[in-house]
Amino acid sequence: MTITPSGKDKLSSCSTLQDVLKVATEFERTARDFYAALAPKVSKRIRYLVDELVVEEQAHYDLFTKLANDPEVEKQIKQEINLPPSNKRFSDCIQLPDLGDNPDDQSILQYALGREQAAMDQYHALAENAPEGPLKDVFTYLAQEETEHKNELEKIYYEVVHSGGV
Amino acid sequence: MKKIKYEDIGSILNPLKNLQFFARKPVTEPLGPRPAAEIYRGFHLNDMEKCIGCSTCQKICDNAAITMVKVPHLKNDPVNGIRNLRPAIDYGRCCWCALCVDICPVGAIELSREYVHTCNGDEVDSYFMLPQEKGMHGTVEEKGWTKTETNDLLDRHRQKMGEMAPEERVDNFDEIVDGFTPEQAVLEASRCVQCGMCHDSCPTHMHAPEYIRAIWKGNVEEAVEWMYETNPFSHVCGRVCTHRCETACSLNQTGLPQGSEPIAIRWLKRYAMDAVPHERIKEIAASKKSATRTGKKIAIIGAGPAGLTAAFDLIKQGHEVQVFEALAKAGGMTRYGIPYYRLPDDILERDVDVILSMGVKIQYNTRIGKDIAMEQLHKDYDAVILAIGLQSGRSTRIPGSDHKDVHSAVELLRKIGSVRDDIKAEKDPGFEIPRSAVVIGGGNVAMDIGRSLARYQKQQYGEVNMTITAIDAMENFPADDVEIKESLEEGITIIPSRGPQEVMLENGRVKGLRTWKVISVFDDDGRFAPQYDESDEQLFEAEMVIEAIGQMAETDLLGEELTEQLEWQRGRIKVTEDGATSVDWLWSAGDCVNGPDVVHAVADGHRVAESINEALSVER
Repeated sequence: MTITPSGKDKLSSCSTLQDVLKVATEFERTARDFYAALAPKVSKRIRYLVDELVVEEQAHYDLFTKLANDPEVEKQIKQEINLPPSNKRFSDCIQLPDLGDNPDDQSILQYALGREQAAMDQYHALAENAPEGPLKDVFTYLAQEETEHKNELEKIYYEVVHSGGV
Repeated sequence: MKKIKYEDIGSILNPLKNLQFFARKPVTEPLGPRPAAEIYRGFHLNDMEKCIGCSTCQKICDNAAITMVKVPHLKNDPVNGIRNLRPAIDYGRCCWCALCVDICPVGAIELSREYVHTCNGDEVDSYFMLPQEKGMHGTVEEKGWTKTETNDLLDRHRQKMGEMAPEERVDNFDEIVDGFTPEQAVLEASRCVQCGMCHDSCPTHMHAPEYIRAIWKGNVEEAVEWMYETNPFSHVCGRVCTHRCETACSLNQTGLPQGSEPIAIRWLKRYAMDAVPHERIKEIAASKKSATRTGKKIAIIGAGPAGLTAAFDLIKQGHEVQVFEALAKAGGMTRYGIPYYRLPDDILERDVDVILSMGVKIQYNTRIGKDIAMEQLHKDYDAVILAIGLQSGRSTRIPGSDHKDVHSAVELLRKIGSVRDDIKAEKDPGFEIPRSAVVIGGGNVAMDIGRSLARYQKQQYGEVNMTITAIDAMENFPADDVEIKESLEEGITIIPSRGPQEVMLENGRVKGLRTWKVISVFDDDGRFAPQYDESDEQLFEAEMVIEAIGQMAETDLLGEELTEQLEWQRGRIKVTEDGATSVDWLWSAGDCVNGPDVVHAVADGHRVAESINEALSVER
């Protein structure tokens, strides 16, 4: 589930950290539900991928929920964003396909990568446009989280696609 | 009494000569040891990091003074030719001949100038010691007898293999390599130190030291007997094996001033297999066949190396074996993936024929899941082996990659493999040969398709216009070095470190491949995370783009129900070490569960056959 323009507007209009995190949490929930609904449709051979994506999105959902309810959120986020996010360009050339009824492992990964890329880009853009302060920090933090997830997916993509044969 | 002659005893005044010593200053020799000669052969030294544990020193020691001792904390990596064994010396036996120094393939063991060691009665075992870099007392600064080019007992360089020159071979599919003459084979075999590192590293643990020794003795039949203990695809492996044995060979050393090449184990195997008449090989293979029949029936899906090795073992054990093959001939990827110039069909046929001569039946052109259901096999057979290989090529799925002139390498190689028996068809593989093409990928499959198409281009257009490009730097290409070298010799352009971005189209036709320069492929943590320099963009003009980036198994034949019943592990059927799946009547072997080459498939075939034999024996 990519962050749609309306989603971006929703995020832009947030005025508190908790509001931003609640919207971001909602994005993660919809993604989790999307993959959960997809799992029974795909072959068992590749279901592990979808199951892993559900777990990943759930982990993000839990993390953002926890942060949104944490009165110390501002301090915690500041600590997390000390590590600058890397901006890899691998996913840039991967297209977002229409998954169809019975997608294969590569299509699912491409979709997930595209989603993470889009989310990452959006959070980066929001962070750049936000004034210095807690809001900027939280967007930077979210961008970093999505970047890390994308990097993990790239690794899986390599293992799945660039394997077999010599 | 015999008279003593005056001339024998000298003068009567001789004793008086001793008086001269009374005037001399007395001399007292010190009690400590004196310095030994420059190249004295004293106690042993061993560079523990340099030593590979090959035990060649132990084998040459006539006094049995050397025992190989396991040192647990040291690296133990047999696949790459390192054991955690190190020589311990028994100085009750050692004669300090230094043959261990002269034979050591890596120059790790040396002798020091240290020669004094005393101990109390209860320390008598201190004469049996594990030499280290600083000697037995940890004080040695100077070495005595060491390895030099002149005392090296090893023949470091392999016999030169004859092969067709690039200009002779580039317009045809004739086999490139000549093979050893009998004289060359004996000379090459004589280089072997019988350390057994090759055996340890081989996935199917071929008895290479034994067959090399047999070749050295001139007994090629014995060599073939040893080969058939572990490998019914010895003809194939004699030509296209990935020869991990040679990587692990103790003579495969770099950094020595005299250089050091591994024994040409693959070519020796090829030599012995070619030297023994085919009918005799059949007899050798059949000699281990069980005389009794078990009455058990096994179905094998796929007539590649894994499936046929399992078939070979199971029929030897007395079972009935039926193989089902979707294509018209046996061999799997060895026939439909490896080009003729590396592995001629008639050579592959010999291995297959030996297996068939044992009584294995193959039903060709039969696609399980379509012509016969898996459930039917389950009903009709006591066990089923899935050995379907990796038949499908992966796609980059970059923009334009769905164009009809973008192909997977395995698809094209299958077409080429399907027609190559027919001399007329050899020049027409059943698809239009592009005047220019670019291959994406840096593995052997990329080289195979690039070199095959280059041959067709030369035949049809008189010139080669072929580019192979990959994301990896040249030194990290997965392809064998010799494949890269020969590709370049044949006029193929290889461009490393390019990331494919788009298949460019013009007027509905492929125009070329747009790429970016790759700055790095992996991040600091070793994770795949390529970074590109977008300002360095290149277009490789081509009429056809071929993808050779990875392969996958087509498992649709299993059907939905069985797919759900089976356990999977990251896209592959989950199997035990013995190849058993989670369904009690189904085993799986070869590339579809383990990769990635012929010799691994052979090893897998053995494991699965043994597992089935055990399972069926329990039932009996």
